[in-house]
Amino acid sequence: MRPENYEAIKQPPSNEYELNFGPNHPGIEGNYAFRVKLNGDEVLSARADAGYLHRGFEKLMEGRLWIQNIALVPRICVPDPVPMEVCYSLAIEELCGLEIPERAQWLRVMQLEMSRLAAHLFAFGGHAATTGMYTPMFWGVADRDLILDRFEELTGGRVYSIYNIPGGVRRDMPDGFLDRLDSLLDYLDSRLPDYDSLFFRNQVFIKRARDVGAMTQEQALKWGVTGPNLRATGLAFDVRRDDPYLVYDKIDFDIVTQPGGDALSRNLVRRAELQQSIRILRQVIKHLPSVKGAVRCPIPNPLAWNVPAGETYTRVESSKGELAYYVVSNGGDKPYRVHVRGPSSMHAVQVLEKLAVGSRLEDIAQIMFSLDACPPEVDR
Amino acid sequence: MSKELNLWLDDLLQDIKIIKFKRKSSRRVRIDIAPEALPALLELLQGRASYVHLSAISCVDWIEEDEFELVYHVWSYETNSLVSAHTRVPRDPGVYLSVYDLYTPAAFFERDIHEMFGLYFEGSPDMEKFILTEWNGPPPMRKDFDSEAFVNQTFSWEEYHPQWLKDIEAEGGGITTRPEDVR
Repeated sequence: MRPENYEAIKQPPSNEYELNFGPNHPGIEGNYAFRVKLNGDEVLSARADAGYLHRGFEKLMEGRLWIQNIALVPRICVPDPVPMEVCYSLAIEELCGLEIPERAQWLRVMQLEMSRLAAHLFAFGGHAATTGMYTPMFWGVADRDLILDRFEELTGGRVYSIYNIPGGVRRDMPDGFLDRLDSLLDYLDSRLPDYDSLFFRNQVFIKRARDVGAMTQEQALKWGVTGPNLRATGLAFDVRRDDPYLVYDKIDFDIVTQPGGDALSRNLVRRAELQQSIRILRQVIKHLPSVKGAVRCPIPNPLAWNVPAGETYTRVESSKGELAYYVVSNGGDKPYRVHVRGPSSMHAVQVLEKLAVGSRLEDIAQIMFSLDACPPEVDR
Repeated sequence: MSKELNLWLDDLLQDIKIIKFKRKSSRRVRIDIAPEALPALLELLQGRASYVHLSAISCVDWIEEDEFELVYHVWSYETNSLVSAHTRVPRDPGVYLSVYDLYTPAAFFERDIHEMFGLYFEGSPDMEKFILTEWNGPPPMRKDFDSEAFVNQTFSWEEYHPQWLKDIEAEGGGITTRPEDVR
């Protein structure tokens, strides 16, 4: 929305006023705007305004080879890029009927959980900053950086690893990688009590987040809420367990729920998921050396790869919720249509609009960060 | 228990003559149905078979058949299975019914499809522009919209060759490959 195109709506005199919240605002996650109508501090209505990050991924993908899109998809969600690569690769593998080697599946699970840890640390840091506590933010970002170091070692890229390709992963781990990952997990494990005493059990945070942006389980189901936000309303649902992909059915982990449905519960679910991701990674470290074999199944020449005609809908659990790709092939060397269903397309638009009504202006940032909304997933 | 429910649903759906039913895997079902019967099917799935979660509505532009394909992905938290209901509506005039009264998340997907494909949904609460607020051209996700042709028409290619680069080149440095050599 450029200023010269903005016309204020003419209204009779009242106490109500309109406020543009974002796109450049510390209380907004990413480039995203919110048009709120207020009476004093109370939000009367809220309208999401997206489009500041639109890069036309779905159209771009139709014009590029199947393999070229691998470099494109992680850019759809910056804080949590690995599920994008894995979900897109799973779709192509399903269309081609490829059976990927078990070692590649374990390697993918390892990255997915590393990415989830990194994203949750980022989210926790972001929420802490909106509460006015900057130390947890620096801690979260600094500890995320240690995970990015391991990504750099494994894949060569810190954020966008572009490591998963249809058929498996690009290359095997470097020597001694699992040892270094293990010592990183030891370190993160030892940090969790510190996070608790600094943030999650801090009365400043608890009093600020309790009953803010609360929704019931019925509302959450009706509004299409998924992932940690749904589990924070008490429903134990996780795509990893209930619609398993890769080797998640061989892994032992708990699905954490909280009864409250408010910003506090959502953060506590993410806090407990940090523990669960560490638990999954420890199982991967224990199991991976015994899985021998290739990390990639034979694939055709990627530059002349005609994927058989068909359509598929693949889903994975990203750190933000249910991530799905609808991929259609007409037998050509490029996708005919790719539809990305990002979890934030629900959380950042409809759910946020509904939860904001009746809350106060200063709560919007709390609600948005507790939903862990990722605007690039909305814009695509 | 959940498996029995799935089998029960299979039997039920196979008995309905107007739909084409196909079980793709233990948790994926594909249904092809006429556009006028789709809202009734979704109502049945949601109200009687616990498919309460609308995961997505995907739109595919089949330009050679002159049709839009709409795919409604609905998920059941009880039987843990996903039904993808496919239907096809003509590209012209490009109007279809909204399922907002059944599934609230439909509002976002329908608004998105209207913006990107130009398919209008009657009864949807909000068909205003969302992402492409200042876009006046045709709906960009349609297959007959050519991005590259649009860029060539709208913008002019500029040679990026500023003075400081010329100075470097005078000393023998600079960019070795010019953009026009690549294109």
